[in-house]
Amino acid sequence: MDELTSLRELYGEPEADPLLEARVRSRVQAGVRGRAPAGARGRPAAWFRRDPGSGLRGRPRAGLLRRTEPDLRRLRWPWAPIVAGLAAAAAVAAAVVVPGTTAGEPGGSGRIAALSGRSILLAAASTAASEPAPTGAYWRVRKLHRQTHPEPLGRGGNRYRLVESRVTEQWAARDGRVWSGSRALGARPASKADEDAWRRDGSPAEWSSGGRTLSTAAEEGRLTATAGGTAFSMAGRAMTFEQVQGLPTETAALKEWVSRTVREEQAAGTPAAGPPGSFDGVVADALSGLLWSKPSPPAVRAAAYRALAELPDVRYLGEATDERGRRGAAFSFALRTAPVVRRTLVIDPADSQVLSSTVTGPPGSGGDRVELVLEAGWTDDEPVAPELP
Amino acid sequence: MTAPPRAVLPAEDAGTGPLPLDAPEAFGAVFDACFAEIHRYVAQRLGPDHAEDVVAETFLTAFRKRDSYDPSRASVRAWLYGIATNLIGRHRRLEVRTLRALGRYGPDPDAPGHDERVAARVSAQSLRPELAAAVAGLDRRDRDVLLLVALAGLSHEEIAAVLGIPYGTVGSRLSRARRKLRAALGGGNPMLDPEEAGRG
Repeated sequence: MDELTSLRELYGEPEADPLLEARVRSRVQAGVRGRAPAGARGRPAAWFRRDPGSGLRGRPRAGLLRRTEPDLRRLRWPWAPIVAGLAAAAAVAAAVVVPGTTAGEPGGSGRIAALSGRSILLAAASTAASEPAPTGAYWRVRKLHRQTHPEPLGRGGNRYRLVESRVTEQWAARDGRVWSGSRALGARPASKADEDAWRRDGSPAEWSSGGRTLSTAAEEGRLTATAGGTAFSMAGRAMTFEQVQGLPTETAALKEWVSRTVREEQAAGTPAAGPPGSFDGVVADALSGLLWSKPSPPAVRAAAYRALAELPDVRYLGEATDERGRRGAAFSFALRTAPVVRRTLVIDPADSQVLSSTVTGPPGSGGDRVELVLEAGWTDDEPVAPELP
Repeated sequence: MTAPPRAVLPAEDAGTGPLPLDAPEAFGAVFDACFAEIHRYVAQRLGPDHAEDVVAETFLTAFRKRDSYDPSRASVRAWLYGIATNLIGRHRRLEVRTLRALGRYGPDPDAPGHDERVAARVSAQSLRPELAAAVAGLDRRDRDVLLLVALAGLSHEEIAAVLGIPYGTVGSRLSRARRKLRAALGGGNPMLDPEEAGRG
């Protein structure tokens, strides 16, 4: 008997039942939909566009959004990653690509940038204020996190870095109940060089590092109800859904409320409030958190945008594209100054949503911490453990 | 046993050019056309319990990478097999465990269509553990090529395209793998290495 025939017999004929097919289909569908957030907001996602004429036969275009798509001829998909955008190797991992910020005369361009940055934040404030009162049973934010593991792995002189990614969700019901969901997506070598070193290490699928286990496998999603309802925090102070709903809606009052909170938490030595020398940056961070990490009412979001527009240390970096190819405006501020840690936010002024956040520094931290907002806002979906993105 | 059935993709059939992988709705048609055979392939290699996740990942990876799909080089189904193969490569220990179980117990006897194949299978039954061990002992790259031929029915050309390796390398990996299987089955002279009739 031919050895290929014997081989087919060895493997047999497993078949999928219709339930399994339906289950996988809905998982894939959800993933496909979640992958087209810009399109869902009425704008074509950049990766839906093609050069006219070349069609599908065309080679991937050169350019920012095509940087992770090599020629099929050389394509080996060594790490076909689970998560869109994570294919970007460390060399291109800069989350925010900011065109047009280096041009211009010295002195003059900075002022123009400050003016246009301010007007963008004020425009976003108007958009936020004009949002209709939210409908839907639950507020929910779903984020994709990515971070380089701080410890190098491997043995002897053969060391490599791993990138960990995770989906998190936060849910809040109008009655104050809150849930947190989390799902690790598996660790990957950070770059091609890291991948080569990982192979030399015997291609391990699990590591023990920093007191925990890292794995290349995605874990099951978890959803836990948060006891006491204090799922949110500002500068380290726990907040309930109701407290967020009751924040001041007037710009000066909101800024004062946030400043007082930061001052009190810093005085109490709360680590998340930063050292006393970093007051302005922590206030900017607390205000921006109201835009994308809390179920803030429209009037509170509008006030937060206006307050940010008045802060002198919030820098406008220009137009930017996040890792999912969504266009927006990039702003950054220092979370602390010595050593410097900066957060850069990409916001979409058209609908006032925050698209992504990148925290850079301090030196030696291993790499940027990137968060991409996959979904945010009110929904009638019930809280469930996070699905794969 | 016959070669695996090939999914018919409507757009390819009609000669209207490549599938419009762009739209989520159109992508659903690709899923419907190819799910069964991709699932079968993954379940064969990793066992039915772990196939679900890998198959879902295969289609999501395909959707994400649809810009890099070049219909002049491979059919959609071949491309999906390539993606699945690379994902399977992350689960090498699981694949070896699955092979050990196949060698010991054979494929799940509850699987539909079992009865008709029992007769054909008897001849190789006694050598099942040896065959499974030989497959498990292959270099992963050789095993990928072997199983893309034997289980997926891909041509050498398609395998070269979807694994990103030279055409000639497909033939040499396949020959090496087959030689080792023949040695394990004891039925052939391992020194003989007949050239593969060009499949693609």
